[in-house]
Amino acid sequence: MREMLSLLWFEVKEEVGAVHWTVYQWAFFAFQYFVYGQLVSKLVVSVPNYYFYYGTGLLIIMTFNISTWAGRRFVEGAHEGRLRYILSLPLRRGEFFLEQVLMGLVVNVVRIGPPLVMILWITGAPALVLLTSMTVLLAMSAGIMGIMISLSFVAFKSFDIYSAIVAGMSAILIRFSTILYPLSYIPNAYANISRGNPLTYGADLLRSAVNIDVSGLLNPGLSAIVVLAVGVSTLTIGMALVPRVLEGVKSS
Amino acid sequence: MDNAVETLGLTKSYGKAVALDNLDVKVKPGEILVLLGPNGSGKTTLLHLLATVLKPTRGTAMVMGYDIVKQPLKVREVLGISFQEPRGFWRHKPSHILSFHASFYGLSGTKKSEVVEETLRGFDLWSSRSKRFMELSGGQAKRLEVAKLFVHRPGVAVFDEPTAMVDLEGKRMIWDRIKGLREAGSTIIVATNEVREAEYLADRLSIMKLGKEVVTENLRTLKDSISGGDVVEVEFSSPVTNEISQAVLGVPGTVRVTAETESMIKAFVNRSEDWLPQMMSLVQTLQTKVTSLRVSEPSLDDVFLHYTEDAVAEKPNA
Repeated sequence: MREMLSLLWFEVKEEVGAVHWTVYQWAFFAFQYFVYGQLVSKLVVSVPNYYFYYGTGLLIIMTFNISTWAGRRFVEGAHEGRLRYILSLPLRRGEFFLEQVLMGLVVNVVRIGPPLVMILWITGAPALVLLTSMTVLLAMSAGIMGIMISLSFVAFKSFDIYSAIVAGMSAILIRFSTILYPLSYIPNAYANISRGNPLTYGADLLRSAVNIDVSGLLNPGLSAIVVLAVGVSTLTIGMALVPRVLEGVKSS
Repeated sequence: MDNAVETLGLTKSYGKAVALDNLDVKVKPGEILVLLGPNGSGKTTLLHLLATVLKPTRGTAMVMGYDIVKQPLKVREVLGISFQEPRGFWRHKPSHILSFHASFYGLSGTKKSEVVEETLRGFDLWSSRSKRFMELSGGQAKRLEVAKLFVHRPGVAVFDEPTAMVDLEGKRMIWDRIKGLREAGSTIIVATNEVREAEYLADRLSIMKLGKEVVTENLRTLKDSISGGDVVEVEFSSPVTNEISQAVLGVPGTVRVTAETESMIKAFVNRSEDWLPQMMSLVQTLQTKVTSLRVSEPSLDDVFLHYTEDAVAEKPNA
């Protein structure tokens, strides 16, 4: 455990040390929320309080991007040789996998925390909501990281194919979901596809956590179960699959 | 413990490609074994398997008594590896990288700081300690990669081409430090395709080709194993007759004789130290005079080429 925490601290310092990148993400979020969000909320008049809805959607997109990055970083680490060094250290593979996930979560907290606090402060939400909404975002993040890391076996064959899959998945998962529009306000065909997307459950769970008053949000209990199930299953698959791929067992 | 490292039918395949084929190599405690082989001979794969970065397809290896398949964590505690290509934590500084490495092996507080400083100074990195990894030159990054093993001084230290990208002065410094590490009690395995490095470091050499061990011996034995490897140039005071040439060819240990000039022959012999006294007796018997004599033994290049160019090479003790 001490070794895992030591590695976690070392890696987090390196990532968070890139302050300009963190500030850029906050600035980009602020621009989208305060400029584009204002404009689009004037166009979408049928959804009540859409500006707030849009803001939480931005948080989910940001979580998705950071979690995707964490998975991609894992793959890049393998290509760059950093992973090989870590694998040679006296650390259990399971602990290493857990450390990678924890690092993604810590970076998520650092980069999403301030925008989340800002949105909740603007809307006057109580402090407890910060805790619950951050928990939802992190649970979603764990699931997304699990998917991305599990897919890393593709990257060991071809990084280009991996990049294409990740880009395609990002486009599909974000658009066919309730991240930007509520389920009850979108056409049936679109809504039916979105119901099969785990991000829809995560997005609706976040809106329930921050008390957004939109009709047709999915049941929070069901959403919580889906988000947790996706997180646990993808991380379990990743934990079982990835060490075997890294150590060359799958390729033999 | 008879051997610090012992591979037992160690095999690694990638699909149909066999990177390492049924390898049985033993490394004695406290020795420096150099793995010498052309690109693609399986040296790096072997080191990665020993470091448990890769898992074998078949067979196993014991490192300080621990099985790389069954006890990988224990193996990682006693074995350290310096990788061929220095890659790493781009935004971290050398002092942080070594400090992190040290903390992983139980060093802390003042002791850790002292060891890190000593290592940075020892590898001529002290003045670059505050640069970020991405700002280091290729040679500095490589020295940092090697330096990691001098922080925790593992029981078995494994170096993959430790002086690639390093200048001549740096090479000598690294070689001497590796020897120093051995003097301090570590068992060393070095993979290289640089013959001079092998010659400088090796207690024993293992020549590899296409994932197989071709031969493992000390340098002297390997040189002696080449038939006709020693070359003796003999210059006589008078022209060399056919009778002299035939007589020289008849000296035990002579493989062939060629005429260089009218009065000089070149004899390709086994073990010149055994051959020369007999040659001197022959000179007396023939009642002739030798005006000069020059002996050269095969270089490690010759040994390397001898064993890697032949598809089926004979082992000296086989």
